[in-house]
Amino acid sequence: MSLAVEVNNLVKVFGNIRALDGLSFSVRVGEIFGLIGPNGAGKTTTLRIISTLLLPTSGTVKVFGLDVVKNPDEVRKIISYLPEEAGAYRYLSGLEYLEFMAKFYAKSPDEATTMIKEAAEISGLGERLKDKTKGYSKGMKRRLLVARALMIKPKLAILDEPTSGLDVIHAYHIREIIKKYVRDHGITVLLSSHNMLEVEHLCDRVALINKGRIVVEGKPSDLKEKFDCSNLEEVFAKVVKIA
Amino acid sequence: MLKGFGNFLLKELKELARDPKILLGMIIVPMVIFPVIGGVMGYAIQSAKEQAVKMNIFVVNNDAGEWSIRFINFLKELGVQVQVLENIELKDENVQWLLSSYNATMLLEIPPGFSKNVTAYFSNPNTKAYLRFYGVITSASFFETAGSSMVDSLVNQFNRCVAPDVLLTEKSTVIKGEVKRGIDPAMISSLMMSQSIALPVTVMILLTYSVQIAATSVAMEKEEKTLETLLTIPMDRFAILLGKLSSSVIIAAVGAVAYMVGYGYMVNIMLSDIPGALNLDLASLGLAPSPAGYLLLGVSLFVTIFSALALAVILSAFAEDVRSAQSYVGFIYPFVFLPAFALMYLDISALPLAVRLLFYAIPFSHPIIASKAVLTGDYFTVVIGIIYVSIFTIVIMYIASRLFATEKILTMKLRFKGLKRRGTIVSEES
Repeated sequence: MSLAVEVNNLVKVFGNIRALDGLSFSVRVGEIFGLIGPNGAGKTTTLRIISTLLLPTSGTVKVFGLDVVKNPDEVRKIISYLPEEAGAYRYLSGLEYLEFMAKFYAKSPDEATTMIKEAAEISGLGERLKDKTKGYSKGMKRRLLVARALMIKPKLAILDEPTSGLDVIHAYHIREIIKKYVRDHGITVLLSSHNMLEVEHLCDRVALINKGRIVVEGKPSDLKEKFDCSNLEEVFAKVVKIA
Repeated sequence: MLKGFGNFLLKELKELARDPKILLGMIIVPMVIFPVIGGVMGYAIQSAKEQAVKMNIFVVNNDAGEWSIRFINFLKELGVQVQVLENIELKDENVQWLLSSYNATMLLEIPPGFSKNVTAYFSNPNTKAYLRFYGVITSASFFETAGSSMVDSLVNQFNRCVAPDVLLTEKSTVIKGEVKRGIDPAMISSLMMSQSIALPVTVMILLTYSVQIAATSVAMEKEEKTLETLLTIPMDRFAILLGKLSSSVIIAAVGAVAYMVGYGYMVNIMLSDIPGALNLDLASLGLAPSPAGYLLLGVSLFVTIFSALALAVILSAFAEDVRSAQSYVGFIYPFVFLPAFALMYLDISALPLAVRLLFYAIPFSHPIIASKAVLTGDYFTVVIGIIYVSIFTIVIMYIASRLFATEKILTMKLRFKGLKRRGTIVSEES
């Protein structure tokens, strides 16, 4: 089976903090893979390394066979990263922001226009796309950014806490967007969340991460069955105690 | 007293006093910069005093009548040091020869017919008696207007004692070996003075303005959380850096043009007050740069702005938000203000070697040095300055590009507590 992401024995040290401690997992092509764990577990650091933002202290990371340290430029062409606390440019309209981003990926003006149309549809922001983003609510901004991340049809979308800080309605909307997009375009999604219940409904497979290590990995249903739990939160609690 | 006010105030004071940025910006920097500026001013005032002591008037009396003697005695009674020469016909060459041989900066001629005219005034007040004043302009300095105004004051006092408006003064300026008749040296001097103030002030404003723009622009990417996204899209990271610098340069250039237009307008207004000044070749007199001089000045200004911007980008890369970035670029300001203020008053070539080298080492001195050097046609100094600042800029740009190329742009923060460990790498979140 071909792999979209291969992480092997990944270590990241910041000063005297060992943020990642020999982390290994892999993501298959076309699946939604969730990294779940509490705050400070190492989810964001892992996603940042895969997104070529940070360099690993040791270990290897490959995205569709490309090494993120040796070929960062090639990796950037096929991924789309949505940081947890991403923002948009205050003085650009939603549409201008999408146009700005589309131009980095589109090979022709027509392709850029198609991307922007697609993003407008994903975001569901309608006429509000013409407004400057400084007037957007948190939910609107997040929808815009998710649309930006998906509109380019990346081979791998890396979404860090995609529904972070959103209310139930907005979070639901975002999850539906992700599901629909993966189904329609066959892209691979690697996302992180500390909301285990949400991940359970969204991801094909998950990896539970704690203190910079993967403690367990598998399909949500398999994990629940294996540990005899009714949800992933309980699985995590059990695993961490066992680990 | 408001309930809780005291407690809250104490908390505020503690917070402020413990913020190293405030300590540095509000206390340490002024404590350093003001004594330095004071020292510079003191030096400038000392030189002015020395010049003032040397000031005395050469009077060439070509009249030999009763009123010319009275006028000279009047000056002496007022305590003016007067040196009288008699019967020298003052043609342009004589004026220069006299001034240079007596090492004088001003000359007052009492022309033939002076006494006759004063006497005639009493029967016909329309008759006026004239004095001729020649003032030398050497370099832009605050204190050269003194001679011309002193003569005005003396003539006014004489008129008050004798009769209103009996004496008038015809003024001429001696500049770069030429006698420009009918041009008041005070006007030329104030034009030069305005240049010696206006250009450093312009440079100062431009530099601080563009540094603010660049710092804000980089810090905004961090504050608005757009930098991470930007760093993961398929674009050259050096392009991000260059984009930041270029947009700041463009905004600063628009500002520069606005300032220069305003400055040109100011010079024109001042020139229109000088009769006949519009017929002067300002560039050849050293009152305005030649086209080549303007070009070199522009290049000097451009490379200096670029160096300041690159420096601002590096400093703001350490900042988490706009506010911190603006505090950090505050470190640049003393190096901008110091040469601007100091060189406004001082001629760099007259400074001791160590001080001169210090000014040359500060890149932001160079457009100010250049602004004076282009007036005197010293293009060599300007070119050397441009080369120096360009090398400085390349080094800074290299460091900035390295910062943008690595993860440091995301992870570096300046920790004042750990200044011993400058540039500590920390993770925002794991």
